[in-house]
Amino acid sequence: MKLNLSSKKILIVEDYPVMRKAIKDMLGTLEIQNIAEADNGLNALKEIARGKFDVILCDYNLGNGKNGQQVLEEARLRKILPFTTVFIIISSEQAPGMVLGAMENKPDEYLTKPFNALQLLTRLQKNFRRKEYLHPVEREIDRGNLALAIHHCDRLLNEDDKRMRMPLLKIRGELALNVGDLTKAGEIYHEVLAERELPWARLGLGIIDLQRRNLDQAIATFEGLIHSNPLFMDSYDWLSKAYQADEQPLQAQEILTQAVDLSPTSILRQKKLAATADQNNNVDIAEQAYKTVVKLGKHSIHKSSSDFSSLAKLYSKTHASKQALKTLDDMRQEYINNPEAELRAATLETELYQQLGDDKLSRESFAKVRTLSEELGKNMPKDLQLDLVKACFLNDDQETADHILESLIKNHIDDDQFMDDIRTMQSSVGRDNHSEILIQKTKQELIDINNQGVSLFKQGKSHEAMTLLERAAAKMPKNKTIILNMARIALHDLKTAGPSEEKILLAHSLLKRAKQVGVAHDKIGTMQMEFSRLTHARPANNHDAA
Amino acid sequence: MPRNTKQHFSTILASTVHDIKNSLGILQDRIHHIAASRQHNDPDFMQLEFEANRMNHSMMQLLALYKIDNDKFNLDIDEYPLQDILDEVQAQQAPLLKMNDIKLTVQCPDELMSFCDYTHISNALGTIFNNSQRYSLSQVALSADQHGDYVCLTIEDDGAGYPDELLSIDPTDHEQMDWVSGSTGLGLYFVATIASLHQNGDKQGYIRIDNQSRLGGARFRLFLP
Repeated sequence: MKLNLSSKKILIVEDYPVMRKAIKDMLGTLEIQNIAEADNGLNALKEIARGKFDVILCDYNLGNGKNGQQVLEEARLRKILPFTTVFIIISSEQAPGMVLGAMENKPDEYLTKPFNALQLLTRLQKNFRRKEYLHPVEREIDRGNLALAIHHCDRLLNEDDKRMRMPLLKIRGELALNVGDLTKAGEIYHEVLAERELPWARLGLGIIDLQRRNLDQAIATFEGLIHSNPLFMDSYDWLSKAYQADEQPLQAQEILTQAVDLSPTSILRQKKLAATADQNNNVDIAEQAYKTVVKLGKHSIHKSSSDFSSLAKLYSKTHASKQALKTLDDMRQEYINNPEAELRAATLETELYQQLGDDKLSRESFAKVRTLSEELGKNMPKDLQLDLVKACFLNDDQETADHILESLIKNHIDDDQFMDDIRTMQSSVGRDNHSEILIQKTKQELIDINNQGVSLFKQGKSHEAMTLLERAAAKMPKNKTIILNMARIALHDLKTAGPSEEKILLAHSLLKRAKQVGVAHDKIGTMQMEFSRLTHARPANNHDAA
Repeated sequence: MPRNTKQHFSTILASTVHDIKNSLGILQDRIHHIAASRQHNDPDFMQLEFEANRMNHSMMQLLALYKIDNDKFNLDIDEYPLQDILDEVQAQQAPLLKMNDIKLTVQCPDELMSFCDYTHISNALGTIFNNSQRYSLSQVALSADQHGDYVCLTIEDDGAGYPDELLSIDPTDHEQMDWVSGSTGLGLYFVATIASLHQNGDKQGYIRIDNQSRLGGARFRLFLP
């Protein structure tokens, strides 16, 4: 296949001018003229946001600032990188050793320096061919229409192109997992493994076992993978999840420590280690991990002021108040005039000055807390709201504390981990069981509403059931169970009474809301599948055109 | 050397290799440009480019062997069309082929697939191919075919063939390698190591060398399960 590159738009990201020029000259010999350049990660992201590129050639090492992997990660998360773009990371090392850091964001290709024009051309051909072939599938994944993506995937698998079979099976397996179709996923992974022991297929079986809560089997699978493929980082992440699910947080911490030793630059994994060690009261490891997170955060899209406040809280827990205050100062340096960061600092300072016996400064900080929290209003992350509640209790403002606490409990009642965080916070201010009554009451309320709703629904009174749940949702707008049940009823209505525009819109908006409040992927996935089936009946042929 | 000093040294060695590879990249590129600006192929530049290419291959081998030695090595196995790998090897070596005026033939059945590590297998073949060019007179042949439970990748040339002392040793045994004079030996040892890391059930990858080339010179074969 002769590839016409003259119409392609290319971005070169490389900090070293000589190398940039060399690559540009090389592209010239391939008759590529439409070339943009960026000399660092920030400028690269500006260029990517501005123009749709067919190819991005990005050096891994970009000097100070973001590295190539972080550019890719941020571009994907900010959704400024079209799925049609071929993203190539150039590195001076043999792939993929140095880029183990973010397995979640794999580039389309790694190219090792030095490379010549023909090599680049060969890789581009390979990738354009692949992207073109997978276009219908990837387009639907990009749009979030997993049902249609599955349809296209199955259609392509039927064409039986040997060259594309494995990549298709891999995508098909992931899609099945994402929509919660564990049976189909299992079939695919067994089919692949019968042919060859491939780590991603074995991992898939482990994930299925984890989701079916066959925890011993899942743990054995992930451990086996680590043993045979010690640099396959995904298996460490999944093993730590399995240990968490099995209530073995110490083992989870141990595995994350191993993973972080092998691949020290993945900020998300460091965050997980920090939180797990913190939860295990393993102060030294938690401290080290939080510090690393803060350091790695400097150029990462996953940077957050909560990383600083978590470290400060850890110091406060060990009564190292001075170090805690110092950490908050560091945070202010990093986040100048950021109200959320200011509020985090002030809430903790209230407590820290109390620890140090300085009531005056503590009161001053609390005054700041009041102003800032009014300014931020409802736009506060739940962990920050919890900090705020604590500060209120410590300053004898029980009314405000209870008010916030009530909405936190109502909205997050199905988040057991967060309910535990609330309990921990309460006991740290000497109010054990203070919120327990409210938690239990809210739980009961939720169960009652659901039972009532289900019972109405079973009697065929889906309209009444919906009204009831809507009223409950007004009181607990972020409650997952309620929204999920509303979506179920809406789908059922669609199925039994047939689609109308109004019903389609309602179901669609409820599914969207479920996603927004963080309902588990597999639960929404199944419903999305059903929604597509009901609204598309059969995907028409014109969908197939790329 | 005490253990930690030794480790420290090998890390320094590895990072130096990276550094050299960076410089080599620029060097190769400059050589390429200067050579292209000349009217005809200057044998001095041909030599420069060839040597730069060889150095790069040696550095890559060194890095891979360093990683194997430090348990930092991982094969990234997936299924690939062998044609893609042959295209990659050919592209890698293309500038030299042109300069040396060597005729290359490539033969690979459509849809012949292999489970392997794309990067390492391409580089391993590139190493051997680079040598074949050095010893061939005018022709090199690259081919792939199915061989029972294995796929076989073959590189043949029309040179004088492997010397007897190389044919008589086991390339997987580094004790037998002649490290001082045997630059070809190191390449074979490296490729044999990479091959042996490819496993499927009880089958393991391996290499064979002989002088049964259809072109009359050396024949190298890489078998992958």
